[in-house]
Amino acid sequence: MTQSHSLAEVYDDKIVRSFVLATLFWGLIAFIVGLLAALQLAYWPFNFNLEWLTYGRIRPLHTNAAIFAFAGNAIFAGIYYSTQRLLKTRMFSDLLSSLHFWGWQILIVSAAVTLLLGFSMGKEYAELEWPLDIFITLIWVIFAVNFFGTLSRRKEKHMYVAIWFYIATIITVAVLHIVNSIEIPVSTFKSYPVWSGIQDALVQWWYGHNAVAFFLTTPFLGLMYYFIPKAADRPVYSYRLSIIHFWALVFLYIWAGPHHLLYTALPDWAQTLGMIFSLMLWAPSWGGMINGLLTLRGAWHKVRTEPILKFLVTAVTFYGMSTFEGPLLSIKSVSALAHYTDWIIAHVHGGTLGWNGFLTFGMIYYLVPRLWNTQLHSKKLAEWHFWIGLLGIIIYYISMWAAGITQGLMWRAVDDKGKLVYPDFIETVTRIVPLYWVRALGGALFIAGFLLMIYNIWKTLRKAPQTRKEEIVPQQVPLKTQTHPETSHRKLEGLVTVFTVLVVLAVLAGSIIEIYPTLSLHNYIDPLKRTQPYSPLEIAGRDVYISEGCYVCHSQMIRKLPEDVLRFGPASTIEESFYDHPFQWGSKRTGPDLARVGGKYPALWHYRHMMNPRDLIPQSIMPNYPWLEQKKVDFYVLRKKFSVLKRLGVPYDENTVANADKIAEEQAKTIAAELKNGGAPAGLEDKEIVALIAYLQALGKKGGTP
Amino acid sequence: MNSNQNPPSPNQNKSLVDEALIEGHEYDGIKELDNPLPAWWLFTFLITIIFSFLYWIHYDLTATGPSTSAELEMELSQLQALHSAATSKEPSVDLQSLVKNSKALEVGQGVFAARCAVCHGAKAEGQIGPNLTDRFWIHGKGTPEDILQVVSKGVLEKGMPSWESMLSATEIQSVSVYVFTLKNSNPPNAKAPDGTEIKE
Ligand code: HEC
Ligand code: HEC
Repeated sequence: MTQSHSLAEVYDDKIVRSFVLATLFWGLIAFIVGLLAALQLAYWPFNFNLEWLTYGRIRPLHTNAAIFAFAGNAIFAGIYYSTQRLLKTRMFSDLLSSLHFWGWQILIVSAAVTLLLGFSMGKEYAELEWPLDIFITLIWVIFAVNFFGTLSRRKEKHMYVAIWFYIATIITVAVLHIVNSIEIPVSTFKSYPVWSGIQDALVQWWYGHNAVAFFLTTPFLGLMYYFIPKAADRPVYSYRLSIIHFWALVFLYIWAGPHHLLYTALPDWAQTLGMIFSLMLWAPSWGGMINGLLTLRGAWHKVRTEPILKFLVTAVTFYGMSTFEGPLLSIKSVSALAHYTDWIIAHVHGGTLGWNGFLTFGMIYYLVPRLWNTQLHSKKLAEWHFWIGLLGIIIYYISMWAAGITQGLMWRAVDDKGKLVYPDFIETVTRIVPLYWVRALGGALFIAGFLLMIYNIWKTLRKAPQTRKEEIVPQQVPLKTQTHPETSHRKLEGLVTVFTVLVVLAVLAGSIIEIYPTLSLHNYIDPLKRTQPYSPLEIAGRDVYISEGCYVCHSQMIRKLPEDVLRFGPASTIEESFYDHPFQWGSKRTGPDLARVGGKYPALWHYRHMMNPRDLIPQSIMPNYPWLEQKKVDFYVLRKKFSVLKRLGVPYDENTVANADKIAEEQAKTIAAELKNGGAPAGLEDKEIVALIAYLQALGKKGGTP
Repeated sequence: MNSNQNPPSPNQNKSLVDEALIEGHEYDGIKELDNPLPAWWLFTFLITIIFSFLYWIHYDLTATGPSTSAELEMELSQLQALHSAATSKEPSVDLQSLVKNSKALEVGQGVFAARCAVCHGAKAEGQIGPNLTDRFWIHGKGTPEDILQVVSKGVLEKGMPSWESMLSATEIQSVSVYVFTLKNSNPPNAKAPDGTEIKE
């Protein structure tokens, strides 16, 4: 290697080092917050009766931190390192690189603060409120300009497969984020999405599923294509396979979102598309796995001794398992059992801990010695990290898989009289609480391994030389013999713009075909099943519901399945969530479905339940919400909220908008009086608890059913 | 230690010699082989595509397969049939005779403590739900049959749950007669009466 001297251009590895350290830092935070969430489900007092530490806020913090802070920084580290070397040029602009880095870190901190304070859109993995949504867009554009700028000054004519995946990532994430976050602000940290009901559901899961596809899959496949051949020192198994599975993934993935909504009120045609495109994704996904694993042929002996390769190989294996399980879970009858249960949580963590986590760890163990010109402090510790981490994932996976299937079977068990065997929801919760403890153990082991890594890297950095030798960018790339004439795909690899346009077309095809029909939602509505929009106080309560993150434990979507109908009442209809901006169908039933809870209990029951669920249901694992009887409702802002909702098409008359605050205060007085009669404290009429009760009592009571 | 120092020599391994490296494909030392798509892989891909296409034709294009709503209706009517068959076989019980059946009352007391006390109070003195020990009734006249009716069907708009799906027939009978026997038990902290007074 070469001496760095002032004249020659060197690769910008400083930015890579920053992203690597950020990955380690945010990884630790994301994992610990995850462990806290796991403990909260096992033992409710871990909610600490503090509003900003309750599960409803901690879980969104965990998912956002794991995806955007840990995986995000890891992706950027790997992309900045490999792109420069694959294109034989320094990044386009150092200024943009550092704006990207610092912008992203500021974003993460703001996200953490606002989520804990309860500012939330109520849409999974897209909880951040509108100012942060704009900020994300800005940083993403900076990243894109920097990346495509680098492409424009590349010395390699052709783009390697890793670069294809990076392009797909940058383009698609931008499209997903922007479309899913179209919202109208009410105040600094509150907005309503323009989408509602099934439309919002479809857009949200188009986004949600493709966040998995284009944030946790395509960039990591790109990293795999760089780091596995490098670490194993082997050629990539099959160029042809790369081409086919790349284009198949990019085209097919975008359709798969509705597999999160099987048997819901979503029209059948969309459900069918969601299921079949997920099935067709199986082989293209495995194409990536095969190409990764077979690249190692002839280097398997190195896997035995080299922790880096162990991490990478295991990551790819987990990728294969998850992409087999995914299509399986998308089969309607399997989804009927697994949806809303912990099986999905198991599935997700096989992917995130196994695939994203281990690939990141392997990559970092590869990068750190090279970035800091030194040797890894201890290979043995890395070896330990691998085994402890792997054990953690396995324990995590098996416990949640068992919990999910157990609970799913209990929910659907019907006796010979046609009645539910476990009509009491809490019975099905109590049964799996021991498994929540086991899961927490799995998570703790994963973290223990990660701590070893942090220690190992800290030791490595301490002995790294003070003056760094940076790698010099070659002045020119050696001429390559090109014997046969270029195939058309080969030509494409030299044409960035055409390539990018084709990627855009591939992802837009499925998006438009699925989303376009629901843009005219009225076509799906039966005019005889009119839905009444929520009253002002109910909207105030709904915003409490969203802010507290009740949707992370409660669904509001009774599926078209006998077990759901027997337990919760008639299946939910399209009309019922017609005016819901955002929709709150939920994806997990840690607690029972609430779509028809309105009127099921008297107001006083709700009051006592929210103050301490265990007063009424001794085995409940739901947190206490004592602050709801302290915090005041902002009645005045309701006028603004109502004018926004009216603009979005909710049929409120002028009078309701102009007097929203007064109407809400009146309704609040009635409920507060009823509570007081029953023995609750006086003075609740301006507190959040009253608004929340009004909302809960309205659920399922607004018409829209046959 | 950087791998750039030792450029890879991918053909060192015997078993891979016959596989063609693609000329001109080298990026930062990474080369690519010209292996064909694995046949089993291609086969799997084609099968899933064909299956999906047929599935789509069956359920969507021609709609020869049942819709999710039709499927649900079918399954619910099967359950309904099971239910009617089972209930028609159940012997009708004389509630009056259960009032003196200490076994039944014991069961009823257990059910009450587990299910009803949260709303009606441990001694049925009334809390979230009304006092069940006084002579005032909102629904019916407080006979075991009247109570059984409310307990089975509930008063859904007022927050009294329907128990017929949650409890077995025997449990409902037992808890109803148990409630009946609490009349005039005068528990402490009784809630003010609701409904109309029923004089004997
Ligand atoms: C940790 C998960 C969790 C969170 C967060 C949570 N709940 Fe629950 N909830 C449960 C569980 C478990 C039950 C069942 C046991 C019980 O009734 O307490 C439940 C029950 C309920 C019920 C009774 C439903 C019925 O049909 O009996 C209501 C109403 C409810 N929750 C409302 C809320 C609201 C409102 C919030 C947000 C402020 C919330 N929950 C947050 C877990 C949760
Ligand atoms: C969620 C709270 C709740 C639970 C649990 C509950 N009840 Fe009730 N119950 C009520 C309410 C509220 C009413 C008043 C209904 C009305 O105003 O029409 C009521 C009314 C009744 C009545 C009729 C009283 C009258 O004056 O006509 C009877 C009998 C009764 N409940 C029995 C039971 C039994 C037995 C159980 C347990 C199996 C039970 N309840 C559980 C809330 C509850």
